[in-house]
Parts: sequence; structure tokens; C-alpha cells
Amino acid sequence: MNLNTFLLALAGLVLAPLLGGLAAGVDRVVTARLQSRLGPPLLQPFFDVGKLMSKAIAPASHWQGLFVRWALAASLASDVLLAAGGDVLMCFFVQAASASFVALGAFCGSSPYSKLGAQRELFQLLAYEPVFLVAILCMAKAAGGFDAFSIMAAQGPLLLRLPLVVPGLVFVVLVKLRKSPFDIAASHHMHQEVVRGVYTDYAGRDFALLELAHWADVTVVLWICSFLWATGPLQMLATGLAFLFAALIIDNISARLTWRTMLKRTAPLTLILATANLVWLYLE
Amino acid sequence: MFGSFLRASQVKSPWLLHFDCGSCNGCDIETLACLTPVYDVERFGVINVGNPRHADVLVVTGTVNPRNAAVLKNLYDQMPTPKLVIAVGACGCSGGVFREAPNVLGGIDKVIPVDVYVPGCPAKPEAIMDAVVTGLGKLKAILEASK
Ligand code: SF4
Repeated sequence: MNLNTFLLALAGLVLAPLLGGLAAGVDRVVTARLQSRLGPPLLQPFFDVGKLMSKAIAPASHWQGLFVRWALAASLASDVLLAAGGDVLMCFFVQAASASFVALGAFCGSSPYSKLGAQRELFQLLAYEPVFLVAILCMAKAAGGFDAFSIMAAQGPLLLRLPLVVPGLVFVVLVKLRKSPFDIAASHHMHQEVVRGVYTDYAGRDFALLELAHWADVTVVLWICSFLWATGPLQMLATGLAFLFAALIIDNISARLTWRTMLKRTAPLTLILATANLVWLYLE
Repeated sequence: MFGSFLRASQVKSPWLLHFDCGSCNGCDIETLACLTPVYDVERFGVINVGNPRHADVLVVTGTVNPRNAAVLKNLYDQMPTPKLVIAVGACGCSGGVFREAPNVLGGIDKVIPVDVYVPGCPAKPEAIMDAVVTGLGKLKAILEASK
């Protein structure tokens, strides 16, 4: 590992959660404007996390604290992998591990809402992971390599060769950002009872760490989506923002679906589309 | 610097837990009105949460009776410290028009310590928002003093 890779990895470690926090701030402002409200300041998510950090409360279970730290470590590791030009498939598996740690932590809680949320988190994993995997396979096939640098160095925008992957990626972004209609395990904006799902028993500092892990996850997912138009840093930023805004608009105009619809309709449909794209790439 | 950021964020991110402790619903409607686009308390970082473990400010409307006193105490105990309590409406402050009823213990300060009282029957949304800001002012003074 040379110095350059190390510096890139360090930048990924520090900047990725900050970018995720900014995305959360943009989300809250845009959502408020869509509902004809003024909304909170852009940096509100950072104040929220700072506040949660300084709260004193006994944890619902000691295991929960351990799992949330593992989840944070895994999410940050996936950011570091992408930033250092590592294997995108590896990054995908590490961020899936993070989601499983969040679910395990929620299973440790004593509230039934928390346990229900944890089960739904596992359903979500089952629904979006195959789609995400096939989308990454498509990108690697089209770009001719699995590492982040060769995907970013691909000739021309990948989007032109991967049009059928877009619905799948939008689905993944909606699930990972905890947005309607797929905010099944926990909703990002709503705060009542079962809608809060996996978050129910996390409190105080553990909740703050969970939020940081979520920000890191959001950055990873949007970053991988931005590979679709990776002809330059600005283009990648624009693509990531396009996915973010699409998720915000869909969140504000749709109601929540059940996990059955997610698992039986949306997931198979998007998976078939993405697989068709992969087959097409092989036949080309 | 990190410490001062943490202190500042405690005042900038009040998450409210609203408990209807036997109110006539008049004060509840006014409390929820604060969240609508007309008043939009999210401007000040306020979020209405449904989970005491996530809440910083307990907003209680209505009177206390022997039944719901235990629930009120339980909610208060589950909240992380530091926490604020706001009693909303004449009922929450003193029992209001129901104070002579045989089952009414009185205002919520009979059960838990109250930081800010909001008068009115029902209390106006502006007054409720002002109470949150006053409560945060108190919290800020305490944090500054303990620095
Ligand atoms: S103060 Fe008035 S409006 Fe509020 S709960 Fe009591 S009776 Fe109802």
C-alpha cells in the first residue's frame, strides 16, 4: 500500500460520514420545502447526533452497544474500501454485514417493536441484496474489472449500457435510505412506535453511533450508484445527487408498502430487469 | 471545541414526547398544530417522537389521576438525562376546570418536576413554542453553569 492509497482511505474514513450527514440535512430541508414548510437548518442532523452523544441513559442491552460499534466499523470499512479503490464486491459484502449487525442489535432489545423491526430489516436484506449484487456485477462486466478505480475509469458513461439496472438501484437507494414506500424496518422521518422499528431500543450514544453508521452506508450506496456516470468527479456527484433527489421525491409522494409487496413484487421485478441487462452484456 | 459543540447541540435539537394525560383534546390539538406548516417547529430542530428513550422534552397536556400517574412517572423515568418537562394548559398546570373532580390529583407537578408551565385553556401554539424555547434557555443556563 503506497502513501497515496493510504491518504485516499483516510479521506474516505473522515469524509464519507460527513457527506452522509449532509445528505441527511439536504433530505430534511427538501422534504420540508415539498410540504410547504421552512424546515430545519442544513446542519441539523449533526446537532441531533451531537445531542444524542451527550445524553446519559442505560442501554437496553449490553450486546446492543457492541453490535452498533461493529456496524459502524463495517460501514466505515466499506467507505474506506471504495475510497482506496478496493474491490466493489468486497465493499458490498462488508456493508451487508453492517446491516446484519444493526438487525442483531435490534434483536437484543426488549421492545417488541424493536424485534419486529429487526425481522423486517432481515427481509429488507433479502429483498435488496440480490438486486444490488447483480447491479454491481453488471458494472464490473461493462467496465472490465471489479475494483473501484477501473469502474471509474471505464470508457464513456456506463448508464448507456446499463439502462435496466437503474430501477434496481433506485429500489436499493430507497431501502437503504429508509424511504417510503420501502421504509419497512424503520422510517427515516416518522417517529411513532412500529414505524421506528429497529431504532426503538437504541438510545443515547448508541443511537448516535447508529446514525453515523447510517450516514456512512448512504455514502457508499450513492457512491456506487454514481458509477453509472463516472466520466469525472462532478458528473459522479451529479449522478449521486440525482439518485438522492429521486428517492426524496418518491418518499414524499408515496405511502408505505408492506414487506410482502417488497419481497414478492418489487424485488423480483427489479432483479429480473438487472439480470436481463447482465445477460445482454454477456451476449454482446 | 468538541465539548462546546456537544453543549450547543443539546439546545439545538429538542425532541418532544407528547403525552396526553387525560386532557379534553383541546390542548393536544394545539400541540400538534405546532408541527403543521403554519407554525413549523422543525425550524428549531424540534421533532415529535413517540419513544421516551429518544425524547429530550416531555410535553404533558391534561390532568393527573391515580391511574395515569404511574404511566406519566414511567415515561419520565425512561427519558435520558438531561430532560425538560413542560405542563401545557390550565389542566396540566393545576387541574384546570377538572381540579374539583374526585378522581383528579391536580396538575402534573403532583407527580413529576415541571420546568415550564404554559397557561391557557387551550394553550395557544405560540405559547407552547415559547415554552420550549424558555425551557431550552433554562437548560442552556444549567449547561453553562456546569461547564
Ligand atoms: S386546559 Fe382546557 S383545552 Fe386544555 S386540556 Fe384542559 S380543558 Fe382541555
